Amino acid sequence: MPDVYNWHLGRPMTYPYAEDHPQRQFVAVFNINRCIGCQTCTGSCKATWTFSRGQEYMWWNNVETKPYGSYPQHWDVKTLKLLDEAHQAAGVTASWDKSQADDQAAPYGVYNGLALTEASGPNEQVLGYLPAESEWRAPNFYEDTSTAYKGGAFGLSQDGAALPEHQAWFFYLMRICNHCTYPACLAACPRKAIYKREEDGIVLIDQERCRGYRKCVEACPYKKSMYRGTTQVSEKCVGCYPRVEGKDPLSDGVPMETRCMAVCPGKIRLNGLVDIAEDGSWIENPKHPLYFMVRMEQIALPLYPQFGTEPNIYYIPPRWAPRPYLRQMFGPGVDRAIERYTAPSRELLAVMQLFRTTQKMIFRYEIEEGPLVREVEVNGKGWQMYDDTVIGFDEKDREIVRLSVVEPLHERSTERPNSI
Amino acid sequence: MLTRNRLTLLMGLALAVAAVVFKTPLASSQGLTISVAYVTGELPVADPFSELWNQATAVEVPLSAQIIAKPIQPATNIKSVTTRALHNGEEIALMMEWADPTRDESVLRVEDFRDGAAVQFPLAESLPFYCMGQQGGDVNIWHWKADWQTAINARQELHDQFPNMYVDQYPFTEEGEDALTAAYTDIAYLTAQAAGNLMAADVHASPVENLVAGGFGSLTSQPLERQNVQGYGEWSDGVWRVIYSRSLASAESDDVSLAPQTVYSVAFAAWDGSNEERNGTKSTSQWVSLQLADFDAAAVSPAAEETPVAPFSLPGWLWLILLVLLSLLVGGSAFYYHLGTKRAL
Repeated sequence: MPDVYNWHLGRPMTYPYAEDHPQRQFVAVFNINRCIGCQTCTGSCKATWTFSRGQEYMWWNNVETKPYGSYPQHWDVKTLKLLDEAHQAAGVTASWDKSQADDQAAPYGVYNGLALTEASGPNEQVLGYLPAESEWRAPNFYEDTSTAYKGGAFGLSQDGAALPEHQAWFFYLMRICNHCTYPACLAACPRKAIYKREEDGIVLIDQERCRGYRKCVEACPYKKSMYRGTTQVSEKCVGCYPRVEGKDPLSDGVPMETRCMAVCPGKIRLNGLVDIAEDGSWIENPKHPLYFMVRMEQIALPLYPQFGTEPNIYYIPPRWAPRPYLRQMFGPGVDRAIERYTAPSRELLAVMQLFRTTQKMIFRYEIEEGPLVREVEVNGKGWQMYDDTVIGFDEKDREIVRLSVVEPLHERSTERPNSI
Repeated sequence: MLTRNRLTLLMGLALAVAAVVFKTPLASSQGLTISVAYVTGELPVADPFSELWNQATAVEVPLSAQIIAKPIQPATNIKSVTTRALHNGEEIALMMEWADPTRDESVLRVEDFRDGAAVQFPLAESLPFYCMGQQGGDVNIWHWKADWQTAINARQELHDQFPNMYVDQYPFTEEGEDALTAAYTDIAYLTAQAAGNLMAADVHASPVENLVAGGFGSLTSQPLERQNVQGYGEWSDGVWRVIYSRSLASAESDDVSLAPQTVYSVAFAAWDGSNEERNGTKSTSQWVSLQLADFDAAAVSPAAEETPVAPFSLPGWLWLILLVLLSLLVGGSAFYYHLGTKRAL
């Protein structure tokens, strides 16, 4: 099998196909810290794509409560266990060598363990398992369930909760298909019915070619390939590709964010397309909000990078959850990401205002500097807040959004206090 | 001069000959011939227990797990199928019979896989690879599916699996009569069906799908209008009996065309759904011969009496002599090689 370069792992990786990258990649940043678990994203996806017969248990977008919630049940724990067993059988210890970190080629260091395509053994392309029907049936089991509180009487603490780690904790994990650079579903399909689109890197299952073998359902570690028993084929998140193509009547001919991103009341999601070089690396573009957050500030991290699929949904990790749990989930970049998110740089603070302010994808931003409005201490260090203005531009480089860091306040006149 | 390479080659060859002669399981299904007996009148296309099947000789074809292309399941459940075949000058009927204690005829739930069986014919003059053919060597496959057989009687929905499941409405599946539902239907929401995928069809006229392939991963359904293979399958007391039938001749280039008094090649495969067998995780045979009898029924009888399992009918003492000769050949070569290495020293 040929080797491909996986920058999440910081090293070449085994994959059944040679590298052949799209021109642009569908990417999103999800800010876990802001999610209120309202499931508006989940509902919007359901109402758009999966409301028909045979899709009753299909949720291309779901929000689960970590650490206990998961859809399908225990998907990540089960895959982590399989991977752990494969490491033990091979006599390999999975670890990250952070000393070899390189901003471009290995931003999180070098992973010394086995990826899922490397741990699969001689009979399969990818290590995985097939979740049973019963595991898909309770998509939001354990919603809002925190870890046990070990404290004073009546569950009350004398000191309250404090960062960096809360004693009793949970956080929401919002998930769609990761439209991976090296999709496990695509690797496992025995009849090449899954493809990654050249124009935007969206991964699709060819509905005409699929024969419902469910190897993709078995292989996808994120379990975002789903089987539809009534049509006997598998389906998956389509990345709202008509919107990404700019074919939605509202889009004005330019790429638009997916439904789940555009409806988010918590303003936690930012979706866009990044330019990809022939070798699969991201073409340097510091004024692209996604490039800036993922590659420069590195506050947003891939979900389970050790699986080796190079997922393209990046998460800003929650500040309050135990770090070892977060490091297992988002890799070794967690500590730096939380540090930089907690006390954001002047530019980052401005860029983070762009989340969920327009349905159109933002391809470039500009910042107009404003006055210093606040000076406080964060984690023992001085931190300044400036009221800068950030301007977002669409694919055709037209201004589509303009926001200031400090939200403008309007006070109604006393004559009409209740008017709308 | 015998180099090490040549000697290895020679010894390998000797072992291969021995394997063929002594019928080790390596190439066990090669050399088998299924005689297609000629009968007059209607073929028993939907009756596995018809007296007419007694006219055909039962041939047991050994199967082994597909272990060349991933995914591989080395421990497949079906070790052999018993085959019988009849023709009436117009049509052919071919019966596969195999033991399977579990009857898997629903694929509604994600963990459910179907029982299935397939017959494969080469479309090229020279024999392509016995498993799915190869590039430039297409094969015609008739694939019977247990769930299609059942669906002919009643198509299942998720409500059959979960009777208490509640869903408010399924928009676009039927024309709505109120303001809350669309007044039109749209097949686009049954995506695979809208894309023309045969697997997703509402109704199946036959439980057998007619396909063409040219190598692993290339299996393709023939268009709906060219689905010309009929079938019937029945499970009783732990045995599946599946009958395929089609007119002997076909004008389609992706179909095998058969004629009386001719020998063809055929291969078989079977899947046990309970063992999660699907796609390449299956039991498959190698090419065996399919000999269609002449119209004259009397001409059939000698072939029908032929014992199908013995490729060569040699007397027992000759086998012994062959074995001794082979051992001498291998031993002699080894000794010669031994001398050669000594001289080199």
